[in-house]
Amino acid sequence: MIRTLIIDDELHARDELHALLSEVGGFDVLASCGNAIDALKQINLHRPEVVFLDIQMPVIDGFELLSMIDPERMPHVIFVTAYDEFALKAFEEKTLGYLLKPIALERLEKAVAKLKDTLRDGERSTYESSALLHVPCLRNNRIKLITPRTITHVHSSTSGVHVVTDEGEFYTELTLKVLEDQTELLRCHKQTLVNPRHLDELRLFDNGTGEIILRSGHSLQVSRRYLRQLKQTLNL
Amino acid sequence: MGLILTLLQQMSVFLVIAYLFSKSPVFRPVAGKVPRVRRTVLIYLIFSTFSILGTYFGLEVQGAIANTRAIGAVLAGLIGGPKMGLAVGLTSGLHRYSLGGFTAFSCGVSTTVEGLLGGLVHAYLNRSNKGELAFAPSVAFLSTFVAETLQMLIILMLARPFDEAVSLVKVIALPMMLANSMGAALFVSMMRDQISMYQEVGAIFSAKAVKVAERTLGVLIKGFNAQSAHKLASIIHEETGVAAVSITDRNQVMAFVGKGEDHHMSGHPIANELVRTAMDENRTIYLDGFERQYICPLTDDCPLGSALIAPLRIDREVIGAIILCEAKNKLLHRLTRTLGEGIANLLSDQLLRIHYLEQRNLLMESELKLIQAQVNPHFLFNALNTISAIIRKDADRARGLLQDLSSLFRKNLKRSGELATFQDELSHVNAYLTIEKARFEDRLQVEQTIDPSVLNAKIPTFTLQPLVENAIKHGISNMISGGRIHILACQDADRMLIQVEDNAGLYNPDPQQEGLGVRIVNTRIRNLCGSDYGITVDSVLNERTIFRITLPVGGCTS
Repeated sequence: MIRTLIIDDELHARDELHALLSEVGGFDVLASCGNAIDALKQINLHRPEVVFLDIQMPVIDGFELLSMIDPERMPHVIFVTAYDEFALKAFEEKTLGYLLKPIALERLEKAVAKLKDTLRDGERSTYESSALLHVPCLRNNRIKLITPRTITHVHSSTSGVHVVTDEGEFYTELTLKVLEDQTELLRCHKQTLVNPRHLDELRLFDNGTGEIILRSGHSLQVSRRYLRQLKQTLNL
Repeated sequence: MGLILTLLQQMSVFLVIAYLFSKSPVFRPVAGKVPRVRRTVLIYLIFSTFSILGTYFGLEVQGAIANTRAIGAVLAGLIGGPKMGLAVGLTSGLHRYSLGGFTAFSCGVSTTVEGLLGGLVHAYLNRSNKGELAFAPSVAFLSTFVAETLQMLIILMLARPFDEAVSLVKVIALPMMLANSMGAALFVSMMRDQISMYQEVGAIFSAKAVKVAERTLGVLIKGFNAQSAHKLASIIHEETGVAAVSITDRNQVMAFVGKGEDHHMSGHPIANELVRTAMDENRTIYLDGFERQYICPLTDDCPLGSALIAPLRIDREVIGAIILCEAKNKLLHRLTRTLGEGIANLLSDQLLRIHYLEQRNLLMESELKLIQAQVNPHFLFNALNTISAIIRKDADRARGLLQDLSSLFRKNLKRSGELATFQDELSHVNAYLTIEKARFEDRLQVEQTIDPSVLNAKIPTFTLQPLVENAIKHGISNMISGGRIHILACQDADRMLIQVEDNAGLYNPDPQQEGLGVRIVNTRIRNLCGSDYGITVDSVLNERTIFRITLPVGGCTS
């Protein structure tokens, strides 16, 4: 059974794909997600092998979602779209292809055959993704999009990853790894990222650790492991 | 003293005749509204007559005649210039000479000189741009006074025996100088009254022009064609009172109303070469019937003898001509010429406006079609996907949705008019919303608060749907859950209000992002219902966006 996730903002589209996958057989649909935030959560939770990803979705579209997935957890992707758009052609070669809605069973079967080959060969899925334009956070039934530039720092705890801006603290499904790779944020501790734009002071201690004071007044611990790296990046 | 009174008495009789004469149509040429040659001849005849009459009304005094001959001569000069003064003076002088007496020669000469003097005053006034002063009583008085003084001197110089001349002048100088000067002043003031009366006639013509403007205003709204041309021609014919009015396009007569209808027929090619010339050279051609005759190219017994041909233009392009004609026995009045040119300009302005409106409507309609064409494929794909998914689960519901979809497209095809009832628009939107609700399911809720009194109000077609579509496309579809749209329609004392509210609050005031649809809806409302109405937007980020449409109470009228 192939561990699968369906991501589409329309309920009936998800149900239809689910029904089609049952018809084809061999899929274990772990979850159906109606938006990118939920999708990120389910990917982090279930580590699916493949996602069927709708391109047109509210706030964060399918392409942008890809740049938010931790490369360690990147599943194979089959795009689903209602519009035969030109941009998709370029994507076709790098992905397992795309399916046009309404999905034709034969097209789905072909895509599944190609998917099974890829899985058998044990190929890893990598997608070139551009820098992150927004960090999606959940608030009041809406996706709050935070521009990376305005983030002062990010910290993770058992309750998840929290992005801090001057407006407050927001929960996000993005991992520290993704935020570190896809934005200008720098790692200063195993569980902390800092935005050098908002840095006010870096204090160095005798034991090889340090402390960052932000313009906002927050202070962040700098671990021994990341201090040298940080000093290098900041040209100190 | 007795002579002064008697002479004034004679002058009064003379003035009464002059007054009656000035009221008769024969006097009209003096006011200057006829062709030049004819006017010249008429002025010569009229003033020569007056001058000679002045001699006959004179009194025998010591073998000479105390008279009011000078009035005619001086005024002829004042009004007609030096040549005219000389001619009238000479005529009247010769006449006086023929009557004999010891002053016959001197009076003949002096009358000629007096006429010339009036003419010189005329020339002087014209040169110093004070031509209108020729009709000022004071100028007439002074000129005549000087002329009479001159006459006395000439009598003294030329009449022999000198003693008799001196004693004659002693008696007649003052009475004649006063009587003639006053007579001339009074005569001129009478003429001035007459001229101002003609100017009032001019004002009536202006009123006619306004009437024509008013009545023709709406005629061209349905375009420039045979029907509207005929209506225009009829209105202009009625209001101006000319014998015939014709309107042509570049090739043929579109309408002909009035005398000569029997052979000048609409639909025929333009026969008169001058009409083509007027159009080709984009200028007015004036056939006054006196110096230039209108010659009917169709038949010899055409009653028309004069014509004014003015081109009709859109911007600079000549698209036709308007022709005002008068009958052979009537000259085209100069005022009719001004009026005719004014009417041509008026029609050209109206044509331009209509042309502009047509272009704008055309542009808007094509933009509208473009929007519909742009929106429909995406909407159609989404709808078909939704329905295709629902077929598997609930075939009856899918069938219902297909019916909604087909009714939506049928209405889209059928809606070609400009206005529709709110009820029609709402049912159109409801078909649309049923499909969108199926697509979004619990992510979209729709509420409606509709005052039944607005259901039959007419609103521009394609007003409500773009706003609802906008609320879904740019609002609800960007929400993860809990989308709500509220449609409200009501009317209060001075307007009708339609409101589309969503709770996404994602309205982007950037005009680049704003749906072209909303802009077109706004423009259409302003065009069809008046510029006091239209759309306003009120948005609170992430909370709500409200589009408010205001319309006239009870809707728009076409």
